[in-house]
Amino acid sequence: MEMIDRYLQAVRFALPAAQRDDIIKELRDSILSQIEEQEAGLGRPLNEDEQVDLLKELGSPMHLASRYRKQQHMIGATMFPIYWKVLKASLGLAFLVLAAASIATAAAGKTFSESLGVLSHYPSVALMVFAWITLVFSALEFFGARFHVSDRWDPRKLPPLAKTDPRKSQFELIAQLVIQTVFGVWWLAGLHYQYLIFGPGIAFLRFGPVWHTIYWLFVVLVIVDLGLTGSRLVWPRWALGGQVSRLVMSALGLVVLYFLINAPDLFVAADASTPQLQSLARSINYGVRLGLVAAAIVNIINVVREILRLVGWRLGRIHQATVGS
Amino acid sequence: MQHTVEIPTNPEVLENLRLELRRGCLILAVLAELRSERYGYTLRKALAEQGMEIDEGTLYPLLRRLESQGLLVSEWREEDKRNKRFYHLSADGKLILKQLAAEWKSINASLDGIL
Repeated sequence: MEMIDRYLQAVRFALPAAQRDDIIKELRDSILSQIEEQEAGLGRPLNEDEQVDLLKELGSPMHLASRYRKQQHMIGATMFPIYWKVLKASLGLAFLVLAAASIATAAAGKTFSESLGVLSHYPSVALMVFAWITLVFSALEFFGARFHVSDRWDPRKLPPLAKTDPRKSQFELIAQLVIQTVFGVWWLAGLHYQYLIFGPGIAFLRFGPVWHTIYWLFVVLVIVDLGLTGSRLVWPRWALGGQVSRLVMSALGLVVLYFLINAPDLFVAADASTPQLQSLARSINYGVRLGLVAAAIVNIINVVREILRLVGWRLGRIHQATVGS
Repeated sequence: MQHTVEIPTNPEVLENLRLELRRGCLILAVLAELRSERYGYTLRKALAEQGMEIDEGTLYPLLRRLESQGLLVSEWREEDKRNKRFYHLSADGKLILKQLAAEWKSINASLDGIL
């Protein structure tokens, strides 16, 4: 019987304190009644293996004890979707803040590893964000349940209908493909024949060397952009087409921006001997660099947002498959 | 728009649905069995003999819940040289059992028509 007592001791540990003795007394009687009945049938005492089988049928001590407790949760099913969205957005925002700090570090002339080091703080920051958000939502759940907040809702205050099918029409995609082709050819040719881009301004400014260094990247960017739009045209039912395109283009854009932001001169004076033109080039470089940093931040936001959307979409599909709706 | 969702032919899915279906019926069965006084073990046996198998982990917490709702009354008493907790329906329990039984018959009739 020692094994039975050890089992009951383990169950007792996880039971609600007020009912512990009572429940254990009842369970003990139930187990002993079963043993007595089995022993009467066999005509001998149960051996250890038979006792093990009997206890296994009851389930693990923690599992059995959990049945005596009310279902407990920190964040319930009503609050969870909002909690999940806020958590994802906050984790994304925390990443963006660190990414912006990392870019700022790089722009300030620090080494690549130093700039990247800023991002290494992300796990601890993310943990803190997770803890705070969970704490706040647990409090909302607790007080919301107590004051029946979810009962006070008004159908008139529901959000307006969202556009359900964000996919573009064939005509829109063809127009987009034409514009992308014209723009891509113009841009790639313009990097070599700069008057196509600068027009009369070619007399004052030229591209800095970095634009030619990363010329191949622009070629890749244009090809991928055209390829993605073409794919959406060929497979119009590709549900994730728009999201994947935006994600890939934003990620590639980030690579381009990284090189441009780190380049010493984005634009150079057409005539290096003219101090006014050099001053103009410096001012333009400064302004454009600031714009590129802003563009990098926007791109990081886009990348994170698209990743979260894709993750949400996958989760939604899994949920649908689970509930079968 | 109709769309197909692939649901794996997992016996666990059937088992979960079966348990969900039985859960409400078990309460009715337990209440009905406790029109006459029983203790946990004999109640479980009586239910099993009538095809309503129920494990201890479900039965005993259920008995406590029904008692805390005022539907059952219990008392510890010695029988066969051991203390046992005997349960029986309270006055409220009898009333609820009557209403639940009527509800069950109505659901059963409706489902018979649907199925």
